[in-house]
Amino acid sequence: MLKLAWRNIWRNKVRSTITIAAVMFCVIFAVVLRSFQVGVWEHMVDDIVANNFGYLQVHQKGFWEEQSLDLSMDQATLPSDQWREVDGVRSVVRRLESFSLVSMDQNNRGSLVLGIEPQHELPGLQLTDQIVSGNVFEPGSDQVVVSEGLAEFLKVVVGDSLLFLSQGYRGASAYGQFVVSGIAKISNPELNKQLVLMPLQTAQWMYNGMGLLTTAVIDLEPGVDHKEVKEALQPMMGEELELLEWEELFPELIQTIEADMAGGQIFITILYFIISFVLLGTVIMMVSEREREFGILVSIGMRKSKLAFVTVLENLILTLGGAIVGMTLVKPVQFYFKYNPIDLSGQMKEAIEQFDFEPKLYTTTSYIINLNHGAIVFIIGVLISSYAVWKIMKLEPVKSMRS
Amino acid sequence: MSKPVIEIKNLEKVYEGAVPVHAVNGINLTITEGEFTALKGPSGCGKTTLLNLLGGLDQPTSGTIEIGGVDITTLSENELIDFRLRNIGFVFQAYNLIPVLSAKENVSFIMLLQDRPKEEREARAQQLLEAVGLKGKEGQRPVQLSGGQQQRVAVARALASKPQFVLADEPTANLDSTSTANLLDIMEKLNKKERMTFVFATHDDRVIKKARRIISIEDGKVLSDE
Ligand SMILES: Nc1ncnc2c1ncn2[C@@H]1O[C@H](COP(=O)(O)OP(=O)(O)O)[C@@H](O)[C@H]1O
Ligand SMILES: [Mg+2]
Repeated sequence: MLKLAWRNIWRNKVRSTITIAAVMFCVIFAVVLRSFQVGVWEHMVDDIVANNFGYLQVHQKGFWEEQSLDLSMDQATLPSDQWREVDGVRSVVRRLESFSLVSMDQNNRGSLVLGIEPQHELPGLQLTDQIVSGNVFEPGSDQVVVSEGLAEFLKVVVGDSLLFLSQGYRGASAYGQFVVSGIAKISNPELNKQLVLMPLQTAQWMYNGMGLLTTAVIDLEPGVDHKEVKEALQPMMGEELELLEWEELFPELIQTIEADMAGGQIFITILYFIISFVLLGTVIMMVSEREREFGILVSIGMRKSKLAFVTVLENLILTLGGAIVGMTLVKPVQFYFKYNPIDLSGQMKEAIEQFDFEPKLYTTTSYIINLNHGAIVFIIGVLISSYAVWKIMKLEPVKSMRS
Repeated sequence: MSKPVIEIKNLEKVYEGAVPVHAVNGINLTITEGEFTALKGPSGCGKTTLLNLLGGLDQPTSGTIEIGGVDITTLSENELIDFRLRNIGFVFQAYNLIPVLSAKENVSFIMLLQDRPKEEREARAQQLLEAVGLKGKEGQRPVQLSGGQQQRVAVARALASKPQFVLADEPTANLDSTSTANLLDIMEKLNKKERMTFVFATHDDRVIKKARRIISIEDGKVLSDE
């Protein structure tokens, strides 16, 4: 019986080729589409989370919600040594973060001010590769590094002075005048438009909160599952502190990703509709081509269920073959564009940058996507071959042989 | 005295339509073992319809068809398919064979459906192909064979399942006279050697001449039986 199915595959090579090719291209197309979509987000999350904000952050309880300096932690009493003992924790990064109005001549803008210690920072804020002109500030100095986008907006260059005006700890007014020692290109476009970096002590001094931190970033060893580390750290937080993972820090990001995925789903659904019709076409072609033969087989004594089984088997071999070939062929494409993202240019680039995306298209190399879409197309193939089953089950040998 | 293989009583088949057609209009007939019988009559007289009823491919409007004592009009669809597989051999007008199978595979396929062991299938297929004069053509696909050779494979297949009788509807309609004579000789030989009962519908005089019993049909009725 398997032999019959196998022989039938070779019988109408056009039909078999159409079936395999259609399934293959559908899988490839769906996987490529999905890979770019997931890949762009994966890259963005990786950039925001791994390079700039960390997978886990500790604050005084309520700080993330209210963003108020009054909810700060005392760096002297913070049990960060104890946290560092936990498996998977590489280091604890100390920050003071707040908003401030930053002005230069007539221009001013609300900015995110981060007091940091660059040598202990996450990769995105170490200010080694990021500086595009000037230098990193000296620790404890009255120098700042301004992000490229903000510098452009305020029209500042290295050596200019910037005026800061904000509210400090416990209602004190906070102000200061600092010299721009360098300009940094921050990979995340959103941050690049509004970030000012200064030495941690300088920030503490300006905000009138010596020894205070708003944020302790838990820097993880590569490849560690942040949820496991979170579980291990949680008991050490006590009443005063909150431990948040990136999904809690940026819920809007998750929502945006989900919305975008749902949007992409429409394209893929349309694709699946098209493939369904192509496959249905080939099955209809097969059934009508073999109507007389089906009639003869049932006449001489082949049960319809057996005939249907052989026919479905033939289709399953074809769709499974197409799906596997598609799933495999697309893999190098995924790897290529993960490490060689497509650089968008011109209008497209501007449009995308407006939405704070990096104008590069990355792919993901996750196998799940391939398996998912391979399986979906295969299932479509199975469902479509039920047309042949239906035709065979209602076949009347006398009628089918007269045609 | 030979025993009856097919007994039909008061058989009627009406095709409903704007004008109902009485394709088979009250036929009583007994076919006994070892017969070599032709159903003759002009085109449209009801030969194919009668043959399809005998073969259990179509349901009569009324009447009974007993084959080896079983009234096949009472069988369910699957019972009927299994009954055909075990009891009836078919040769149709043309394009009888499965195009993707070789001559030998076409013959053994029906025995595969019967779950016969592989050695038996191989041996019987070989023996039957030799009996129909196709030794050396076992591995050929139907398209590689002539029309006459294809019909001989079909005859071999019809016999392979060891049926009670073989029904053949216009088996020579698409053949030239040499092939026709050849096919008839083979059927006659198998009829004698294997005592296989043959019933064929035809309006071909060359076939009718060979038959030992000739049943003339007109307008769905038996006109003469000699
Ligand atoms: N499925 C059908 N529906 C309606 N009329 C039919 C059908 N099959 C056959 N007939 C009619 O029944 C009559 C007998 O046909 P058939 O048995 O094919 O005759 P024969 O084989 O002797 O040429 C013809 O008049 C034919 O038109
Ligand atoms: Mg006819």
